[in-house]
Amino acid sequence: MEPERRKNDLIDFLRTIQRPDFPLHEIDGDLSLVESGLIDSLALLQIITYLEQTYEIDFREKGIDPGDLRSVNAILEFVARETTA
Amino acid sequence: MKIPPLLALYRTVAQFHENETLIGWLQGSRVVVWLTPQRRKAILCVGAVFAAVAGTLSRQTRSGDSHEAATWLVPAAALPILLGIVYLLYLMAARFSRLPAFVRARPQICVHAFFWVLLVSIWLNPFPSAFAAAVMALVAGSFPYLIWRCGYMLLCGQRGKAARTKFTDHFFYIFPVWDGTNTPPGKGHDNLSRAEAQTAAAYSRSILAGIKLLLLVALWKGAMQVIGAVVYGDPKSALTGLLTGHDLGIPRLRFIVNGNVTPPLGIIWLSLYLELIWECLFIAAKGHVWIGMLRLFGFNVFRNTYKPLLAESVAEFWSRYYYYFKELMVEFFFLPTYLRVFRNRPMLRIVVAVFAAAFLGNMYYHLLQAKHPLIAADFPHLWWLLGARLIFCLMLAAGIAVSMLRQQRLRARVDALGRPRGGVRRLGRIVGVWTFFAIINYWNVPVGVTIPQRARSFLSIFGL
Repeated sequence: MEPERRKNDLIDFLRTIQRPDFPLHEIDGDLSLVESGLIDSLALLQIITYLEQTYEIDFREKGIDPGDLRSVNAILEFVARETTA
Repeated sequence: MKIPPLLALYRTVAQFHENETLIGWLQGSRVVVWLTPQRRKAILCVGAVFAAVAGTLSRQTRSGDSHEAATWLVPAAALPILLGIVYLLYLMAARFSRLPAFVRARPQICVHAFFWVLLVSIWLNPFPSAFAAAVMALVAGSFPYLIWRCGYMLLCGQRGKAARTKFTDHFFYIFPVWDGTNTPPGKGHDNLSRAEAQTAAAYSRSILAGIKLLLLVALWKGAMQVIGAVVYGDPKSALTGLLTGHDLGIPRLRFIVNGNVTPPLGIIWLSLYLELIWECLFIAAKGHVWIGMLRLFGFNVFRNTYKPLLAESVAEFWSRYYYYFKELMVEFFFLPTYLRVFRNRPMLRIVVAVFAAAFLGNMYYHLLQAKHPLIAADFPHLWWLLGARLIFCLMLAAGIAVSMLRQQRLRARVDALGRPRGGVRRLGRIVGVWTFFAIINYWNVPVGVTIPQRARSFLSIFGL
């Protein structure tokens, strides 16, 4: 999948799981998802499920570093790393 | 919209750590320029040596060892063993990819299995002398403090991020100068290195944020003195003498639980809520010291406690009350379970993972914390210490699971524009969270009563 399409898909997905009391209209690539209030721990789980299903990433062996999910760019870097590995 | 002058003044004072003029002045100072990340870490590592010695000595003193001649020899022998174990674990983290497949898949379980083997060997006592037994008991007694810190080091290895790290990158948070409980504030290398200030400007921000937390410690401790004197008439409060007995006379919850006092129902409920406020102030004051120190050394990490009494859901309160304990439970119990079980059943997946963290993990953490009866294999004492917590953790896990599932359901229903944040409904949610934690806290108050006795008095708070 092209990086730009991957980014747009991810942002579309984040819009579906963002906290209803913190709607954001623009999601910047480096915006901290947790600190901005965009997502919470529950949303973090939904991102994990999204990555498992969309990119077939298996977290069972390596575990997950919540830092890898801290921003859109961090997630995309993580996906790139895992899908090319 | 124009901000009233008093509010503007309050914001300026309260947000002094974000004042650009102050940051600009501080970043030009010689101390800040000299204290580069490398130098700060070097200072912390020297401090860690002292912390390792002091911590081992203190654990020896607290263990109540009666071997007079062995008092200093035991920690002197135990410390190199502990340092050796920590170094071996560092090598495991740094060379993670070369470990056997089973260890790579379950590194945390391997470390905990080692601790339990050590513990069982102490119970069986195969040691040739009382001295050797005392040394091994001190090594085992130090483990609950080190095991979670070393766990973060191994997590770093598991994530493939420890290969290029040095031992000193880990040593300072395994034996931290800021001490703390068995829970590592600031977590491990991954989180600390992400939050580490690399420039003089970032370091200045971190210092000011640290100073703010240390000022808040003074404020919360002051508030505890006032509550202690005015509400409880606590003789330990410095202000109690000034009131000359004119306090509200509300009993602490522990006196109600153990049956020392039987106040009217209204006072019992008041005591329940006040205990929750007291606990929040206590944990905030303690956590702000650890995080304040971390920030002074340039690690601008999240606070341990952040406005828990404003939480609008049970899960949110748990995250805001003692953040690093929650993170410990999430990283060592919740996520490993979540990633492994019921991957096609989302609801069940969440519930099982929540129980793995808030119930199983929470109980296990506190089992290790009760190290003296654990090392002595004093199981009746362990049950006496932890029996009530079993009920507390069960209620906590159920509350968090329901809260998370409810949030998920609400999220699916509410459209992107969201529900209003203010108003009576928000207040209702906050009161609900207070009530839940005030009630379950009844099972967390450490008093010497049996579970049936506590259950009977617990029912009495509902008028039963």
